[in-house]
Amino acid sequence: MSGDARRVLVVDDDPDIVDYLASFLEDEGFEVRTAGRCSKALEMMDEVRPHAVLIDALLPGKSGLDLLVTLRKNNEWADVPIVVITGNDRLLEDDCQSYLGAHQGVRGPDGVLGKPVDRETLLNVLGTLLTS
Amino acid sequence: MSNTDATARDRRAQEAATYERYWEEMPCYLSVHDRDFRIIDGNRRFREDFGESIGELCYKVYKGRDEVCPDCPVEATFADGLSHPSEQLLTTRAGAEVPVMVHTTPIRDEKGEVVAVMEMHTDIGEVKRLQALLQRSQERLGQLFEEVPCFITVQGPDRVIQHANRKFRETFGNPVGENCFKMYKHREEQCLVCPMQQTFDSGEAREHEEILFTKDGQKLNALCTTAPLRNADGEVEAVIEMCIDITQIRELQSQLASIGLLVGSISHGIKGLLTGLDGGIYMVNSGFAKAKPERVEKGWEMVQRNVERIRSMVLDILYYAKDRELTVEDVDLTAIVADFREGLEKKASDADTDLHIDIAADCGVFPGDAQAIRAMLLNLLENSLDACRMDSDQEHHAIRFAIRREAPWMVVEVEDDGIGMDRETREKLFSLFFSSKGIKGTGLGLFISNKIIDKHGGTIEVDSEPGRGTQFLVRLPLQAKPSIKPETEGA
Repeated sequence: MSGDARRVLVVDDDPDIVDYLASFLEDEGFEVRTAGRCSKALEMMDEVRPHAVLIDALLPGKSGLDLLVTLRKNNEWADVPIVVITGNDRLLEDDCQSYLGAHQGVRGPDGVLGKPVDRETLLNVLGTLLTS
Repeated sequence: MSNTDATARDRRAQEAATYERYWEEMPCYLSVHDRDFRIIDGNRRFREDFGESIGELCYKVYKGRDEVCPDCPVEATFADGLSHPSEQLLTTRAGAEVPVMVHTTPIRDEKGEVVAVMEMHTDIGEVKRLQALLQRSQERLGQLFEEVPCFITVQGPDRVIQHANRKFRETFGNPVGENCFKMYKHREEQCLVCPMQQTFDSGEAREHEEILFTKDGQKLNALCTTAPLRNADGEVEAVIEMCIDITQIRELQSQLASIGLLVGSISHGIKGLLTGLDGGIYMVNSGFAKAKPERVEKGWEMVQRNVERIRSMVLDILYYAKDRELTVEDVDLTAIVADFREGLEKKASDADTDLHIDIAADCGVFPGDAQAIRAMLLNLLENSLDACRMDSDQEHHAIRFAIRREAPWMVVEVEDDGIGMDRETREKLFSLFFSSKGIKGTGLGLFISNKIIDKHGGTIEVDSEPGRGTQFLVRLPLQAKPSIKPETEGA
């Protein structure tokens, strides 16, 4: 891993979306790693040490929110900014509340983006999160 | 004559005058009859309605008869010296009929012999009118109870049905002596929550929704209301239960809910497809700009794939919306598979997946709807492809697609080594609007496939583990299910 580039881990089960987001973020100067499922993403955390994680809300097996909770509860990753991507903004809001409600003290996502992802918004959100 | 005698006489005369006045003013007919049924006296009311008929025969005067009445109370009192009450219908001189209650009383001489009989007739016209009114309203109430277009029962504390209306009897059978839980729900014991019991306990009305079963086993959704029936002391003696059939309302509601779900599911799916298209276009554009042909190729594939997804989603929606009947003909699976084989193999190789197709040479034809069967097969195969594409744990995948004849079934197997399913996903697999594909699924595909198989009288089994892959086993009957009939000419 090079030291300077901002590293982003993209977690999405759709290879098309993964390819697309990876291409776009690389074009914008990020270093991107991808995972198709939560377990894979967790395995990669140590190696990648991402500056931000982009998670699809609906993932096979465990949901994107499970991954969020797991990372938040891990001291090492608790502060890594997490952006959740979803096709259903309302659903996510409700899900987030009821799901995170069951996990006292867990900080919610640092950003939520609806699908289709607006590239400019994604850059702005990542820019804000990675400079703060 | 002494003063005392005179005073006593005066007093008697005064008394006689008083009684005479009482006699005259009594608000009923008073008459005195001799042994020969002649009227020997009558009061003012009597004279008003029956004229100056002293000396005439009572049966003539009162009833216009020519002979003694068969149940004459005067005769009876002469015979036994007792009072005899009876109901009679009199006709006044003016021709009005007056229903009366008659009381007779014997008038005796010094020796105690009955020398005359006094009759007192009390007009009971009003009572009779009220009685008739009461009977009419009782009949009206009974008719209402019978004809109300809902199910009505009255139950005692023992939960035995005492009364039931016509609609209840027609729908649930004759309830005499039966328990409500048996008649309404075919249960052998009291329901866990018994609203009737609650009404007995609290004395208050209760409303609740129930699922009832008719005598023919048909399921009904019903809105039931119980109310207490109290006796004169205010104690709850029985409970009346009224159930309204709301099956149609519930069906409509569930259809509306389905439409709502469908709309949500479709817009959800479209957003996912837009993301794919948007991504594909970005890849094509940026690929050209940066002179990266492999990126252009990838992007173009994404566009194609998402256009294909839109097509199949629209077909699914149309199939769901129409719920069409099967068009049964001889289905040749070999021909169907040959038709889509090339396109499918291309998709499989794009997803780095080997496709093994194994169709037994002797599998022949079977009766079914070729178009529906084709849609079902493609749906299963595309699901398997998706399961392989979603599995990032291994680069290379394989799908086995086999068809063989195993009387009495045509057997279709679709097996992949893709991502696999957990138990929850397996159990919800064929539910409407359930999708494990997140944003990319509408939850229609397998629901419709299952419906197609079911309509053919077939079965579908699924065996799957996360990380191991999935196997679908479809069995379609070689003999047409009785409910599906071949298309007739001109249809």
